[in-house]
Amino acid sequence: MSGKRKNTPQAIRGQIVHQERTFPRFTVAQRWEHAVALISGLVLLLTGLPQKYRELSISQDLLSTPDRVELIRTIHHIAAVVLALEAVYHLGRIIYLMVKRRLPGDLLPTWQDVRDAGYMLQYLLFLRSDKPKFGRYNFEQKVTYWFIFFGFLIMGVSGFIIWFPIFFTQFLPGGVVPAAKLAHSTEAVVAAIFIVVWHVYHVHVERTNLSMFTGRLGERDMREFHEKEYERLTGESGGEK
Amino acid sequence: MTTRNFHRQTFWLIAAGTFVLLLSLSLASPASAEHPLQETEKYCLSCHGNQDLRMTLPSGEGLSLYISQDALDHSVHSSKGIECEACHTEITTYPHPELKYETGRELSRAFYQTCEKCHSVNYEKAQDSMHAQAAEAGNLDAPICTDCHGAHDVRPPDEPRSLISETCRQCHAEIVDTYRQSVHGAALMADENPDVPVCTDCHGVHNIQDPRTSQFRVAEPELCAGCHANEELMKKYGLSADVYSIYKRSWHGVDVSVYKAKWPTIWHDSAVCSDCHGIHDIRSTDDPQSKVNPNNLLTTCQQCHPTAGPNWTDAWTGHNEISLERTPALFYVEKFYTSFTPFVLWTCIIYVALQIIRATVDRVRRNLP
Repeated sequence: MSGKRKNTPQAIRGQIVHQERTFPRFTVAQRWEHAVALISGLVLLLTGLPQKYRELSISQDLLSTPDRVELIRTIHHIAAVVLALEAVYHLGRIIYLMVKRRLPGDLLPTWQDVRDAGYMLQYLLFLRSDKPKFGRYNFEQKVTYWFIFFGFLIMGVSGFIIWFPIFFTQFLPGGVVPAAKLAHSTEAVVAAIFIVVWHVYHVHVERTNLSMFTGRLGERDMREFHEKEYERLTGESGGEK
Repeated sequence: MTTRNFHRQTFWLIAAGTFVLLLSLSLASPASAEHPLQETEKYCLSCHGNQDLRMTLPSGEGLSLYISQDALDHSVHSSKGIECEACHTEITTYPHPELKYETGRELSRAFYQTCEKCHSVNYEKAQDSMHAQAAEAGNLDAPICTDCHGAHDVRPPDEPRSLISETCRQCHAEIVDTYRQSVHGAALMADENPDVPVCTDCHGVHNIQDPRTSQFRVAEPELCAGCHANEELMKKYGLSADVYSIYKRSWHGVDVSVYKAKWPTIWHDSAVCSDCHGIHDIRSTDDPQSKVNPNNLLTTCQQCHPTAGPNWTDAWTGHNEISLERTPALFYVEKFYTSFTPFVLWTCIIYVALQIIRATVDRVRRNLP
């Protein structure tokens, strides 16, 4: 099993360097968005967890003086603002594209995704011998996007409520503050579990998928994981050769 | 009189004598049964029993030398045979050695040191107390043993229990009067309630420390928990014994326990019990004058959160477990995550595990001839 080989000018006498055909997957702006979300999210997690689990010795080492606690909180708040700005940009761009009627609907969940998930489950349980054919984004990637979309929404809203509780209780009932605190603290762990287990497996263990950083995805991955998209883009059959 | 008669009389005499002796032994208190001879006491009181016996100290201050027999009789010492010379060791005969003290206070501050002979542990503790520090700083009125316990009339300090507050009241009148209006003090004054704290329960007995330090502050929740986390005791008064454990999980409580564990000497403003409930003026939550009565709660919160609005008090879950009635938002968030968290965790793990298994099997199959 191998990708389609193509001769290139780099083919040297007696030796052929195979360069895989790649397909554009993410724009520069999207890759920047991911990088900002990744870094600020990681900073938020690393500065948030020690505050949640304060009794652990590693948290105690990190939060060794009252000044350190203050510093960690300030870093957490700065990262929160960065991520919030990124979220505002992301939502703003969605709205802009929707108004311009140029929003690609590739990420919206469809019934096909439910069918794909069922199909995939049958494959994983050895009830089918082949994987389902996916489009531009498979259901795993859509789950990732929407899980993080709502997770960040919960984290952001609850986070700002517990950052400025007095402001928010000017017009919201007081009960939202302890509820936001619990949601913030719990959703953080849920999101961390999800990203570590689900997302990291899919992009680093199952295969090394760096398209979110390089912007492009190789032909082999396109055919295996996004066969329908491959067919749509090339007009060729995506089936294994 | 026959011999037989004589023997019978002797028998009855002895029997009656034994009966009277046993009766007197059983009726008399053990102390006076073994009442030692009050030799020096009697001797000293032959002069000091005179109410007019006085002298003038070099400062011009008059000093009464009268010792009341009644006071001695009721003191814990005299009844145990601990007499004048046990404390007044420098006096062995008459005439007495000359007193070299300028004032009566100076004399008291010198004489009380004799307490250490027998009560060394409590004496040492008192030397580490805030009172001793005040004396060291120059306040000679700072209390010494005899100011609280008395000198010739030392009696059990807690009989009745309210006597303790009376003793402290000699100097701390305003605070004790406030305390007596509080839920604790009122119960003490009303019926000598054995459960409510008196001054010494919170402040300590001999090693009383400054309650205004950060160390005292961060240790305060545990101090209150001494009673308020005691289920049996709280049940008696229809109070929750979970207030402390719930506080410890609260925003304030987590902060305070971290400071207590790591930086007890650094002042921290996160609320401890007394910030909201009051100190000597703690009242029942139902009391309209209570700082934590729902009508006064916002004002109490505003001590630290001055810009808080009326909705703010609901942000405080109180010392209550999560419930649908009191904290519906919190209730639903908790309910959601109780199922959502394990659902996400297991879905991710199972799905990824299935993928790993399937991928491994496929790889092995491909490599088979």
